[in-house]
Amino acid sequence: MSTRGLMRIVGVVALLAPAALVAQQGAALDPTTLLKAPTDSWPTYHGDYSGRRFSPLTQINADNVKNLQLAWVYRLNTSQAFAQIGGEGPDVPPAAANGFGPPTIKSTPLMVNGTLYFSAPDHVWAVDARTGREIWHYFWKTRGGIHIGNRGVGMYGNWIYFLTPDNYFVSLDAMTGKERWHHEIANVKREYFSTSAPIIVGKQVLIGVGGDSLDVPGYLESRDPESGQVVWRWYTTPRPGQPGAESWPTADAMVNGGGMPWLPGTYDPELNLYYIGTGNPQPVLAGKSRAGDNLWTCSIVALNPDTGKLVWYYQVSPHDTHDWDAAQTPVLIDGVIDGKPRKLLAQANRNGHFFLLDRASGKHVLTTTHIDSVNWTKGLNANGQPIPNPAKEASIPGTLVSPDTSGATNWPPPSFSPDTGLFYVGVTQSFSVFYLTDTNENQEGWAAAERNVGSLGRYLKAIDYKTGKVRWSRPLATNAGGAGGAPMGLLSTAGKLLFGNDGGGNFVAYDPATGKPLWHAGLGVNSSNGPETYLLDGRQYVVVGAGDTLYAFTLPR
Amino acid sequence: MRARLACSIGAVLALAAPGLSAQVRPPITATDPQFDQASVARGSALFVGQCGFCHGSNARGGSSGPGLTRSALVQDDEAGKQLGELLRTGRPDKGMPAFQLAPDQVADIATFLHAAIFLNANRRLYQVLDIVTGDPKAGEAYFSGAGKCATCHSPTGDLKGVGAKYDAVTLQGRVLMPRGGRGAGPPQPAYLDKNAIRASITLPSRQTISGVLVRLTDFDITLYDPQTGQIRSWFRNGDAPKIEIADPLQAHLDRLPTWTDDDMHNMTAYLAGLK
Repeated sequence: MSTRGLMRIVGVVALLAPAALVAQQGAALDPTTLLKAPTDSWPTYHGDYSGRRFSPLTQINADNVKNLQLAWVYRLNTSQAFAQIGGEGPDVPPAAANGFGPPTIKSTPLMVNGTLYFSAPDHVWAVDARTGREIWHYFWKTRGGIHIGNRGVGMYGNWIYFLTPDNYFVSLDAMTGKERWHHEIANVKREYFSTSAPIIVGKQVLIGVGGDSLDVPGYLESRDPESGQVVWRWYTTPRPGQPGAESWPTADAMVNGGGMPWLPGTYDPELNLYYIGTGNPQPVLAGKSRAGDNLWTCSIVALNPDTGKLVWYYQVSPHDTHDWDAAQTPVLIDGVIDGKPRKLLAQANRNGHFFLLDRASGKHVLTTTHIDSVNWTKGLNANGQPIPNPAKEASIPGTLVSPDTSGATNWPPPSFSPDTGLFYVGVTQSFSVFYLTDTNENQEGWAAAERNVGSLGRYLKAIDYKTGKVRWSRPLATNAGGAGGAPMGLLSTAGKLLFGNDGGGNFVAYDPATGKPLWHAGLGVNSSNGPETYLLDGRQYVVVGAGDTLYAFTLPR
Repeated sequence: MRARLACSIGAVLALAAPGLSAQVRPPITATDPQFDQASVARGSALFVGQCGFCHGSNARGGSSGPGLTRSALVQDDEAGKQLGELLRTGRPDKGMPAFQLAPDQVADIATFLHAAIFLNANRRLYQVLDIVTGDPKAGEAYFSGAGKCATCHSPTGDLKGVGAKYDAVTLQGRVLMPRGGRGAGPPQPAYLDKNAIRASITLPSRQTISGVLVRLTDFDITLYDPQTGQIRSWFRNGDAPKIEIADPLQAHLDRLPTWTDDDMHNMTAYLAGLK
């Protein structure tokens, strides 16, 4: 821990005590806990700041995992009866809110002092981690927005924070679920919709907006945990005159250029850098009106969380025209390259490539492909960035591209095990035909249509971070129509276990060294969030969501 | 211009820019009832006449004015309220004069702009253009030559009239992967697709069972018997049962990464001609 890091912690503790920390046993989360990678809680989206989703716990391990059994089940209660109700929308939800059916658990629950806190679009639940029984349910009356998913909640002191599809930043009392306040962060009429989980760094709540139906600006904000007011806002594309503006042809294209920070980021307290991936440029599938690299879209960026200033960036898809954002988790690895200890950052990107960077400087270390079917590049440039092949942009008669817009992988969180040195990710070798539909000079929206034409295979892969090479690859389940599943939330542990799914509706514990399955539970649908683990009353639990149900597993007493 | 498009924005945009028929956009459908199409048409005509010179006849920017479909003010406008206020005063500092328009005229312009924004934002309504641009002769040569399509298919046999059976986009998709996708009628399970993956298993008793693969995992295998309609499963234990998988579309899967876009367009042009 650097002196600066220590100063920050001391400052935060001083601010919080005694009101939040002492008074509220049973609910409060001391934000300095986030710096300690605790094993008796899961206090932030990735469990800790690193994004590794690796737990040092060994109570459940390769030798005894065969005995792992169900502790409890919680099925989502979406009824408004007995719910705390808030929101600015009408009593009958607008049609836009109904496009995705019943809620799916994509959120990674927080577990703090025996309570799990998690979300789905318009809903937050607190569930007793010992019994699986609901403690409270909060329901948000929506004004609209695309209800595709919600990644989870953030916690600071006694307060829960989450974002809604109609772009409100909402704070709840963690003990009761009662709303404290809400603030609008983006305009749903401009087709913004918010999905991310708030991340707490010191006395900052970091939130990103989403939305790519129209050409609107992307931004990340820091909000004050007490007032909910903006501390700083960082736009994901330059403003006129800023460095990077030269990568856009016009100010109009640039300031409306998208780049949504869809997902939660990761944080290095020693460097005091917050890492986040930005989304695709707008218009999504056509680049005629935005010639250039289109910084800082499709980039991994490092920001100073105190100021919101950009420290470095690395663009993984220059001038993207296939909706491959760089929002996938930037995983922080403390590793060794060429015999030297390095602070690294790894990402398995939606565009089919694996990137390893130096996270202090942003300097490129290596790039490889993690699927075999990538067909859209002319190779890599000297900086390890894929060079897009203009012939693989959408065309009127159709352009066959792999991967498709959903990408080789997507938002579900990968895992890195420092024990094996392997980065685990679910991937698919999908293909789509991209049809240009908008031939105007000033294209807008998506400007092209996509028709998926299948996948050559779906796999769980283990990538050696030092070489970027795939160490093992395990085909996922095969169905009548071909392989199933693919991008999946993963968790590795020091108990020599890797938790994920098999694409066939089983939740599986794999041997992280080989990919051999050691245990499974037939949940019937694939796990739909990132699995997590923690100690509660001295017992290790593994918790995972699959569709509308949350499952907790533990060893027999 | 076909009559059925006459009320659509797309038709108006295309008329406003002759020679660019490729930009015809789909009509607003019955599922999107919030736009009065007559109002859209009136608004479009007003817009072209009053606003188009500066903002472009399609409202995406013109000789001196910015695009309006990307404008935060327009996107946030409620039924012409904010837009009407702006039009009444203009923006003299930016060279925009005030406009004296009746309230229903402002409402029509607003409806036109909101409908255009709606079509930009809803990609499910995007209309794929004329994709049959390839060389049918080259497609035919690929069919019987490098593509090895003639190994399984015949233009006078299974593909007779295929160009009349499917629209060109569906046809091109099925050339690449003729499984899945929506046919006529309600959705059905993947194992009922005629191109579903087949499997046969040999039990330790040496009994062999064949069927359509419903699911193969590391732990079990499930088959559908098309004769009886029965679905059955077996646990897997090491190498038992012995499993053989046969994908009737293996040749299509093998071909998928090898297609050039030209080969694909030529093949579509060839097959589209098999009426």
